Amino acid sequence: MSFPAREALSAIDALQRALAAENAAIFGYGVAGARLSGNSRSAAVQYWTGHRQARDTLTGMITAKGGAPAAAAAYYRLPFAVNSAGAGMALAAQLEDGVTAAYLDLVAVADTRLRTFGALAMQAAAGRAAYWRGSTEAFPGLKFPPVR
Amino acid sequence: MPTRRLLIAALPLLFATAGCSSADLFAGPDPLGGPPSLAPETVVLSSAISAEEHLLAQYRSFLSGLSGRGAGRTTTLLTSLLSQHEDHLTQLKARLVVPPGYHASASASPGASASAGAASSVARLRAAEQASAATLTRQLTGVSPALAQLFASIAASDVTHAAALAAL
Repeated sequence: MSFPAREALSAIDALQRALAAENAAIFGYGVAGARLSGNSRSAAVQYWTGHRQARDTLTGMITAKGGAPAAAAAYYRLPFAVNSAGAGMALAAQLEDGVTAAYLDLVAVADTRLRTFGALAMQAAAGRAAYWRGSTEAFPGLKFPPVR
Repeated sequence: MPTRRLLIAALPLLFATAGCSSADLFAGPDPLGGPPSLAPETVVLSSAISAEEHLLAQYRSFLSGLSGRGAGRTTTLLTSLLSQHEDHLTQLKARLVVPPGYHASASASPGASASAGAASSVARLRAAEQASAATLTRQLTGVSPALAQLFASIAASDVTHAAALAAL
């Protein structure tokens, strides 16, 4: 059994989705980081900074292609209450999953440089998700029925 | 006036004297000229399958030789990573369509031997994971969007495997 390809997007639409995921991660890390301490907090701060840099990069790429970068929302609905360090780490992992999936859309566009850019961003996000989760996944960013 | 039977019997002679081959009878490829070459995407996918099989063989070889104190944590991690590589191979193979008569996938041979020492073999597995991710990333440019997404996802998984092995 195979799995269906994700919806093919234009380069600007795929970049906008990645930007939206980065904006959500920036917001979410602010919430998660408040519940973390020590090395976990340091990692959260480092990753939050990385997401801000990625946001700026994507904003520049969209503008260079003639698009208007979508602004971040004022507030993002959290998937669950974040009232402990464990919940903060779980939220961080989920944020990185969202970023990984968003960059997967870039891998499907025709522009080969954007494909590579998306793939490398996926690798970084999947690595951060594995850090927070404490385990690896077979198919970061993809969802499909298991085949055995 | 020639009969229809005579015309049919004379057709091969007519083609032969006109310098025609069997291919000239059809719009498609010459059925007597051998099988056509595999599509480029099939070749790339076959290469990815061979590489995945090779990586699996390295994991199995190393795991089969693991024993003794301290092997528990390593075995647990490597078994988990091995399972994920098996999932990679399943998905890659599910996308491969090879016409009968072709051999698109080379057999895998073990690479990292557990007898070479646990630390060095873990390092070799880590290097193999990194190399796999780099190769798949390079191959994104020449394949369909759907296959590119599968390659990118597997490459991301391989990168996380390398990080997990580095933490052992």
